Amino acid sequence: MQEAPVDKLPVDKLIDELKRKVLDILNIQDIGLSDIDTNSPLVGSNLGIDSIDILELVTVIEHDYGVKIDNKELGEKVFASFASLAQYIADNRTLI
Amino acid sequence: MTPEGIFITGLGIISPLGKGRLSTVSSLKNSFCGIHNVNVFTVAPDQLMPVADVSIPFEVEPGVPRTHALALAAARDAMEGKNCIPDAVIMGVTTGGMPKSEVLLKSKVRIPQEYTYHGAGTIATYLAEHFSCQGPALTISTACSSGTAAIIIARELIRHGKAEKVLVGGADALCLFTYFGFFSLQLMDARGARPLDKDRAGMSLGEGAAVLFIEKSQSPPPGSIAQILGGGISCDAYHPTAPHPAGDGAVKAMRGAIADAGISVGDIEYVNLHGTATQDNDASEAIAIRTLFGDRFPALSSTKGMTGHSLGASGAVECALCSLSVSEGIIPGTIGCTNLDTKLGIPAVLHPENHPVRIALSNSFGFGGNNASVVIGSADLRPPERPLMHVRSLNVIGLACLTGAGGADASFQKFSQGDSLSGTLSDEEISRDLPQRQIRRLKRLPRMALALANAARKDAGDKFHPSSIFFGTGWGPLSETYDFLTKLFGSDMRFFSPTDFINSVHNAPAGQVAMEFKAMGTNLTATGGDYSFEQALLMASLLASEKEELMLFGADEMHPELSPLFDPSVPGERIPSDGGGALMAVATTSPSGPAITPVVYRMAAKDSGWAIMNDLKVTDFHKHYAAIFAGIPSAYEKMAGDQLTDFLSSSKFNGPVIHYRKYTGQYATSSAVAAALAVKIIQQGFLPAGLTHADEVSLGEKGILVMGFGPYCTAVDIRN
Repeated sequence: MQEAPVDKLPVDKLIDELKRKVLDILNIQDIGLSDIDTNSPLVGSNLGIDSIDILELVTVIEHDYGVKIDNKELGEKVFASFASLAQYIADNRTLI
Repeated sequence: MTPEGIFITGLGIISPLGKGRLSTVSSLKNSFCGIHNVNVFTVAPDQLMPVADVSIPFEVEPGVPRTHALALAAARDAMEGKNCIPDAVIMGVTTGGMPKSEVLLKSKVRIPQEYTYHGAGTIATYLAEHFSCQGPALTISTACSSGTAAIIIARELIRHGKAEKVLVGGADALCLFTYFGFFSLQLMDARGARPLDKDRAGMSLGEGAAVLFIEKSQSPPPGSIAQILGGGISCDAYHPTAPHPAGDGAVKAMRGAIADAGISVGDIEYVNLHGTATQDNDASEAIAIRTLFGDRFPALSSTKGMTGHSLGASGAVECALCSLSVSEGIIPGTIGCTNLDTKLGIPAVLHPENHPVRIALSNSFGFGGNNASVVIGSADLRPPERPLMHVRSLNVIGLACLTGAGGADASFQKFSQGDSLSGTLSDEEISRDLPQRQIRRLKRLPRMALALANAARKDAGDKFHPSSIFFGTGWGPLSETYDFLTKLFGSDMRFFSPTDFINSVHNAPAGQVAMEFKAMGTNLTATGGDYSFEQALLMASLLASEKEELMLFGADEMHPELSPLFDPSVPGERIPSDGGGALMAVATTSPSGPAITPVVYRMAAKDSGWAIMNDLKVTDFHKHYAAIFAGIPSAYEKMAGDQLTDFLSSSKFNGPVIHYRKYTGQYATSSAVAAALAVKIIQQGFLPAGLTHADEVSLGEKGILVMGFGPYCTAVDIRN
């Protein structure tokens, strides 16, 4: 198994960071960090978000982490959960 | 007696397929694909998506945006050989002057005169001026269904006896705004649009214009190309961008058009599909087609693999292609589709066929769930039996307004005392009664729209359910437009918000209101600067059916950066203001209770006073009206003031004249506020002393005339 490079954040910390970002970017005010399930799909969860919100997150993720998610198939895989999103970013990020 | 038909006797088209009928037909026959690398502007290699631009040269008047030039090129061809003046000009447009404005905004040009042609409504007025049209110049901005909706409204204008000859169409030009907007939505196919293909991966953006000259007649006038048999409009009321998965709204629009044409489903021989080549559109449209036609399909094709998707123009372009289909006997192919997606369950014409077509259906479905379908027939068919219709009045059953003073009660109270309603409410104040989840991604204008519509409906009572929505806005959602462009230009074209893009279209607020009320009927957004609310009212009076419950509203937001650039009346204002008014109403030809009726809409002329009196058709003006609410946009103070003086002299009216913009502040849809306040005054039966600066004035049986002056003169009758 390959060791994660030392300059990368642990995935757990990234998951929290992403949850915070999602609530902030999508202006979701009625649920807290602890209400978000790390392993549920983003669309269809209690976040109440849809495909447009996912596209909004795509631009933010590219801006903040240098990670492109530029097609629907990849998007469906990556946004399957906060865990998968964080893992994908951790594996592909070019910006710290 | 043969019923009167509405014939297309002039047809101008400029698109990636060429300019004019001959070259367009030749391109259709040769399966010409106009989609290639973008060369109207430069984009980074990793953002390169093929588009369909108009590559043949066309005249562009200096200082005029590309959209206007495209529209004029098409309109000139439509008017060729005509020795007459159209009674009205109606255009479907989404981007308007954006191709020019975005370049100016990028270079931080802050000279308002440079933005004279920004408004989507300026394309219709540009054509009206060019062809000396004195009647209404109307603009529909319902995203991708705009051009089709324009044709339906033009037909209704004729059918209601308000015009005999209309110049109607759609125009849109490629610009960074829509290119990066659709890029952010991941809706463009890097290989070019492949409609109905199993590997389709999105649309290709296009541009162009198509303009039809249509006229009523009992028999086909010389040079008739085709006739417009019917039209249908509906709204999905489902999602801001995604179509209803079962195509419910699409079926409703198609059924409406077929019923309106007085034909049956089996009479349709060709359908020009909306066929954008996105996964969702083609899938839901295919379901709608199957629902409507069962297993007896007419010829079906999408031409967007040739023309690209020209947004507001596309509906007009495709109606023009359907007209050529019936006049030339050609069924266009679905170019770009090599492996028809069998999962769609519909057949498609992949290669052009020479085949006679008597009746064709053209589909357009857009953002905001806006759907429109038009039935085009060959010129020699017997027109449908449709009696001359009457323009309807709207019985007002509930009202609302938003001003710097607050909602309807606070605004009316201040107005009655002769106090100012100027200023702007905070976004939080506007949306304080709206659930946070509903508004979490909405900025100022859609929030105003929801707040207004909800309040007007509440005022009417819960038993009323608006099925149709008519919205007027001078400038559309400016916050979203500004934020999208600021992010785009600030990141060297790398980052931009898809949410801002989808909410930036003029019809987004009306789409939100439709979703709120699940209003699946007609849904139209009109835009034309200071006359936008009047345009929406006119459209409502033409399209609403008897006893139909509808929401009519107008709103504009004050944006600190863009409003002073776009609206020429804003820069001189001491107190920046915004707001709007909403009327929940029942359409009827026999009004009772407070009712609102559009009575005048015409271009300014030397003798405006006399011309308005002529349109009003009243002899003793003072016996009909107790007061005039006059809208004098400060940008046209001298011109509008002279028109009012001229009108007062023609009408011999010496009663109270209330300059409502002095109370509301200067913004395009201040007339919507004036209309709501006038209804309140009619309800209370007297003009308060605070307004007359003298004694209270009892209204008796008389009404109030809400007038607009400036480049156009309008009048709206409000009475019990």
